[in-house]
Formats: sequence, structure tokens, C-alpha cells
Amino acid sequence: MSETTAPDSIGSTLGAPNTARASRKRDRTRWYFIGPAIIWILLFTLFPLLYAIRTSFYAFRSGKMLRWVGFDNYRNLWEDEALRSDLQRTIVYVTVVVVVEMVLGFLLALLFNRQMRGVSSLRTIMVLPLFASPIALGYLGKTIFYEIDGPVNRAIEALGGNGIPWLSDPTWAFVAIMIVDIWQWTPFVFLVSLAGLQALPQDITEAAEVDGASALQRLFSITLPLMAPILWLILLLRTIDAFKVVDIVISMTLGGPGRATELYGFYVFRTARRFFNYGSAAAQGYLLLVIVMILVSLLWGRIRNLYEHDVEAR
Amino acid sequence: MDAYLERIRRHPTRLLGDLFVIFMLIVVIAWTLFPLYWAFINSIKFPYDVYGTKWIPWLQFEPTAKYWRQLLGEREIRSAIKNSLIISIGAATLAIALGTLAAYGLARFRFDRPSNGELTTWFLSQRVLPPVIFVTPFYLLARQLDTWNVPYLGLDSVWTLVLLNATFNLPFPVIILTQMFREIPREIEEAAQVDGASRLQIFLRIALPLVAPGLVVSFVIVMAFSWNEYILAVTIAVKNAIPVPVIIAGAESTRGIDYQAVGTRTVLALLPPAIIALIASRYIIRGLSLGAVKG
Repeated sequence: MSETTAPDSIGSTLGAPNTARASRKRDRTRWYFIGPAIIWILLFTLFPLLYAIRTSFYAFRSGKMLRWVGFDNYRNLWEDEALRSDLQRTIVYVTVVVVVEMVLGFLLALLFNRQMRGVSSLRTIMVLPLFASPIALGYLGKTIFYEIDGPVNRAIEALGGNGIPWLSDPTWAFVAIMIVDIWQWTPFVFLVSLAGLQALPQDITEAAEVDGASALQRLFSITLPLMAPILWLILLLRTIDAFKVVDIVISMTLGGPGRATELYGFYVFRTARRFFNYGSAAAQGYLLLVIVMILVSLLWGRIRNLYEHDVEAR
Repeated sequence: MDAYLERIRRHPTRLLGDLFVIFMLIVVIAWTLFPLYWAFINSIKFPYDVYGTKWIPWLQFEPTAKYWRQLLGEREIRSAIKNSLIISIGAATLAIALGTLAAYGLARFRFDRPSNGELTTWFLSQRVLPPVIFVTPFYLLARQLDTWNVPYLGLDSVWTLVLLNATFNLPFPVIILTQMFREIPREIEEAAQVDGASRLQIFLRIALPLVAPGLVVSFVIVMAFSWNEYILAVTIAVKNAIPVPVIIAGAESTRGIDYQAVGTRTVLALLPPAIIALIASRYIIRGLSLGAVKG
């Protein structure tokens, strides 16, 4: 690792730390560098978000703004049974996929954290799912889980089982979209964990091994505590992204059969794009934003604390 | 090899462990590649080869380019590919331009109010916002631009999509390049400053070439994610600006499944980002984990 410099040790003028304070007042250069990106985000992120707040206070009919309705759109969130059940379904979805991906990805990382031919090509291959278009994956999922003569059911039948009604049974359809998510994102957990494991100081684990600590003891009292910040970060990113899932549902099941695979993001999307009810869609979107923000604030504190603890310990 | 055999002789149980790792390696690779391979071979099979266990072209079935020619012959598809290329390359260029400047600013200057850390968090927060929130405001704003007759922007414009994709992918160049700029020894830049080079000259002539790999990686990451983006694309695009994912999502067949169509279309959507991923695999993990690991 080459030398990294913490931001607070950088003077505004490289060569002359003593005159830094004097020149900082005059030094507008730094704003030329960072200014465009800040203006860009104000314009394309903050402004649309504020615009969406305004939208959320209006009633719409087939795309036309009708009148100011105050908090009605938010009040409707409370009374919307469909929304509530979609939210519950989404929480189940997020919990299952994130837990499976974290456990599977981390175990694989532990397994392949070794000098071995093939591991580096495995790492390259595992990058592929991360960049696969979710729309295309959903579309592909439809053929892979096709009930009559699809490859999955054919394999099950060849092994002597009965074909599974993947896309026509509510529970199995839910399982099918979770499998697609797990296929796509377990590699992310794996790759980040593996990179984290390889960056761990070797001497500590070796010392523990010499002292006679078992593999399990080393895992729980050395590897996991050291990996904790990274694992929390993975958990945060995966949870947020799982809450956002829309594409797979659109191309694979369209929320069906019935409403079995209707996830919250899809629900919001449909309110806007199918029913042109922009006021409600904006309010529903804000609910999602609030959920994401709560998650971030809960977990970000944890990640930051662990980072600081890490620095102190060293 | 001999040393290895010697070790196995001393600890025979190690062999079981190694065999297990090799077995898992094969399972994981097969599991990961299967859907991609399945899509690919379906795209080069005649319908009568689709059913049954035929996995190897030429050996088990006669491959055909017929469905690829058919696909690429469709005017809609060609237009979608063109749009997707404009969107992904345009968004990547824009995001890299903005992101590189911001990254250099964050890496080399001190900011007080807001501080460097706060600014970084600000850029990162872009990464967690659910795009579906933006469906409504972007649609309404684009519609508004249309009523004002703003040229190039508005609904059904690839340029609108270029701007939006650049926005949502801005965190990647910012994170990756901030770290890489910080890793450049400051002495190099100080020497240039002593020689009388201006800030801009130092940035362009010295810092930028040193982070070239980071530029490439950020570029391809933004390109791949913009190529895949669907929600905003389907919100903005109506007819002329439709990119590949929107075409794919709209390709519903009513009678069963057309394996060839699914095969060619999914490969078309999956292939460019896949190639990109293989090129850039070295720094991708650092970028996607928000700089948490060096990868």
C-alpha cells in the first residue's frame, strides 16, 4: 500500500504549510475543482427531490396536476392495504436475500482465501454477475425457470423429482426472484470479503495458530472482529440495494402471480408509470427514502465507530 | 509438486480439504456461468435443438447465426444499440469529467465548511438514493422542458438520459479517484510547484496521467451501469430514445417462450458490460465497495 494522506493533513497550498492560512482565503482554486460536481448534484439531485416534495402535496388525475391536497397523499400511505402488504413482502425479501448472500458470500471467501491456482480466475468470473443487466436477467430467468421443459425443471425431473411450478405458484415465484438476486449479488459479498480477508495482517492469525487456537476460535475471535467494519458496510449496501429492486420484478414476473412478487419499488414505479398518479408516487417514494435513510443512519454509525476503534487499536 | 505430495503424506486429511475446495471451485464457477452460457447457446440454436441436453456447439448441435442476423436486422434494435452507446459513453465521459475534478479537489485541498469528510459523504449519498424516487420529478421536469421547447433535452431524448445516468453514477469516479490521487506522493507535485507549474498544469500534466488506470476503471464502471439502467430510461424514452433494456423489457411473447429471441436479446444486453467487467476487474471491487477494500 502506498502512502495515503489523511485529508486533514493536507494544507491548501502544497509546498508552504506556514502560509497556508494566509493563502487559503485567496485560494479559490479548490472550488474550481469541486464546484462543478457540487452544482451538478444541487441541480440534478437536490432540486428534483425538492420538486418531488411539492408534487407529493398535489392530486393528479391521468398525469394532470389537479389541486393542492396537503398531506392527503401521505395519509393514504397509512390506509393503503396493498402498500402495507407489499412493504411487508419487501422486508421478507430483503431479509432473506441479504442473509443468504452474506452467509454464502463470506463462507466462500473464507474457503477461497488461499494461494491456489484457479482462485484468480474465479475472482474474474465472479465480477460478471455484478454487471449483468437486471432486466436481461429477469427475462432470462423466465426461460430458465420455465415450467415445461425449462432447464431447472428438467434437471429436477432427471433427478427423479417433480417439476416445480416456478412462475405460476405464488411462493415459488417469490423464491425464483430471490434466486436471481442471490445469483447476482452473492459474488459482491464474496469479492469484497475476499479482498478484505487478504488485506488482514497475517501475523496475528499465524501467532494465534502457533498458540494453539483452533480454526473456529481464530474465526470468531480474530477474523470476524477485524472484518466487522467491512461486513457492516457490505450489509448496508446490500440492504439498501435490495430495498430498491424493481427491474427483476418487471421483466420476470410483473409482480405476479397475483401480487406474490410485488415488491415496494415496483409498487411505486407502477403508481407513477401505470396509473400516472404522480402525487402518490412521490409520497410513496419518500417513504422508501425514509426507510433507506433510517438504515443508513443506523448502520453508518456502526461502520464509523468500528473504523475509529480500528484506528485507535493500532 | 513434490513438496505438496510430501505435505499430503504427512497430513492425509489435508487432501480431503483440498479436494473439497476444488469441488467447490467447480460448483461455483458452473453456477455463475450457467445462466450466461444458457442464454448464449440458445441464441445460436435452431428451435429443434433447444429441447434435449445439447451443450456443445458443432459437436452436439449445428450452430446458426440466423437469429443474430435477424435481431441485428431489426431497425428498432439497431436504434436501441445506438441509443445505449450514446447514453453509456456520454454518461461515462460526463461523470468522469465532473468526478475527476471533484476527486482531485477532495484529495489535495482542505475544505472547512463543509469539511472534506462531509463533502465525500455528500457525494456518496448519491449512491444510496433509490432511483424510483426520481421517476416522478424527472418525468414532470422533462415534460416541462418539452413545453418550453428546450432543444436536445426533455422527454424522449438520449441527452436527458446521458445527464441522468452521469448524475447517478458520479460517486464511482469520485471515490475511486480520490483514493488514487491521495496515493500519489505529494513530493512529485511539490517539485513541479517549485518549478513554477500552475495548479491546473500540475493536475493535467502530472496527477492525471498517474491515475490513468483509475480513469479507465471509473469510465467503464459508469458505462456498464448506464448501459444496464432501466427505470429512468423507460420514464424518459418514448420512441426515439429507447435503449436496449427498455426494448428487452417490452419484448413479451404471448405464446410460450421464444428461446432464440430471449437468447439473442439477453446476450446483447449482457455482453458489453461483461466485456467491460473483465477489462476492469482489478479496481472494480474497490469502486463498488466505496473504497472500503483495496481489492
